[in-house]
Amino acid sequence: MADSIEEEIQKEVNAHKILIYGKGTKTMPMCGFTRETMQFFDRYGYPYEVIDVLSQPAKRETLTKMTNWPTLPKVFINGTFYGDTDILDPMAAKGEIEPLLKKAFGK
Amino acid sequence: MITTDVLTGYILKSMPDAVVTVVDRTGTMDHLKVSVVSDAFKGKNLLDRHRLIYQALDVPMKDGRIHALELKARTKDEA
Repeated sequence: MADSIEEEIQKEVNAHKILIYGKGTKTMPMCGFTRETMQFFDRYGYPYEVIDVLSQPAKRETLTKMTNWPTLPKVFINGTFYGDTDILDPMAAKGEIEPLLKKAFGK
Repeated sequence: MITTDVLTGYILKSMPDAVVTVVDRTGTMDHLKVSVVSDAFKGKNLLDRHRLIYQALDVPMKDGRIHALELKARTKDEA
């Protein structure tokens, strides 16, 4: 049913401080933007998770509705949705990412 | 594949004052860098600004004319 997917997403979002829903996996990203998003977080040295939704169309659709955001990747930090690097890059330029991650990881 | 004029037309439908620039990232006119300057973005955070653009381009994205987008959304005085 639809909500069990939503529950699953909620669990995943809460389980990982940095979560990237994208195309492919951490070891085999299948889209430039997913790889770009991984490289974005590699610079900060905090752990992140990549969940492939190319292989899970129902979850991909539910995520699109939940976030009102039509594209992949979709990034969640500390349970909050932040879109993709189009949003994260300007935030990084203003120095907003570092404190956000420090707060999320408590150090 | 979508032309700059057609894409701009979609944006203007929902943001009539928009100034739109399109850069073709891969030569196939479907991986595009789109910059929109419009006062419709005033008072909106980045996520909501991009949502406005995605909503304006919903049709060409759904029918596959646009495959990937890199967006920039600024108001007139930010541009």
